[in-house]
Amino acid sequence: MPAIYVLDVPEFRALVDFSQQQPGYRVGELGNGYFRIESEGDLVFNRKTLKFKPAVWYGIFTGGLDGRIVQFDRDLVRIVA
Amino acid sequence: MTTATMDNQSKQDHATTAAPVRPAAVPGPVLHGVHHAARPTWKLAETMAFYRDILGLPLIHTISARGWGRPGHPDFLHFFFDSGAGSTIAFFYYIGTERPEWLAPRIEDWMYRSTHTAWRVETREEMIAWKERLEKKGVAVSPYTQHEVIESIYFSDPNGYPFEITLQTREFEPRDAADAELTLRAAMELEASGRMDSIDAVWRRKAELVKALPRS
Repeated sequence: MPAIYVLDVPEFRALVDFSQQQPGYRVGELGNGYFRIESEGDLVFNRKTLKFKPAVWYGIFTGGLDGRIVQFDRDLVRIVA
Repeated sequence: MTTATMDNQSKQDHATTAAPVRPAAVPGPVLHGVHHAARPTWKLAETMAFYRDILGLPLIHTISARGWGRPGHPDFLHFFFDSGAGSTIAFFYYIGTERPEWLAPRIEDWMYRSTHTAWRVETREEMIAWKERLEKKGVAVSPYTQHEVIESIYFSDPNGYPFEITLQTREFEPRDAADAELTLRAAMELEASGRMDSIDAVWRRKAELVKALPRS
């Protein structure tokens, strides 16, 4: 199951907000300053949906990554288990 | 350290539960910001024109001296422009010398540009005003670039030195420092084990450290 970890700060909040609305994605608060976002299937994020500028987009997984990135281009990233 | 020893150490590191991370409070003397950042120049008039007239930074101090110290040190000028909040940007002009090839600017090279000074502005309006001022005076300025906690513009001086003007969009919090330390810890472990092959590797090791962090 692919998962990412997201530091609870404003600039990455869109990842949490988006994932909470996304069918099949689960968001948990770890209580240590990070969220965990996981999915039974692939985790896919779209830069324009998240409204991330490129400099933030390319550091999107700085909180931590469980899985393998199989696509990472300017607007789309896909993580598989 | 042998490879086998290193691998064993690496396994031990990975098995270690991450200790709670706190911003380091190191006792001892403290620093109070930048007094001067200094660079050499071989373009005296152009440097004066850029810093004093285009950027509008007051020239506040000049040293002019015979070469001293090590034998062969040229006579020199060392001059300082006020860059705000007690900081200055300073230059050395070594009389009778030519720029060595190894100091030639390579402005298109991101590794060269990584050595730079970023000046702080307090508001977005100030940032916009700087971009407009520089462009009006013929300086090529980058588009606004939004990073995680700063927004920046970039430009170069007549010497080919890269500069940045930046607006910090929020204050750093303790969790930023804790996160920074975790990222670097993950990266240093990979560096030590010779497995630093991509940022993905850092992110994967970081995930293990985050999972091991206790609830706060």
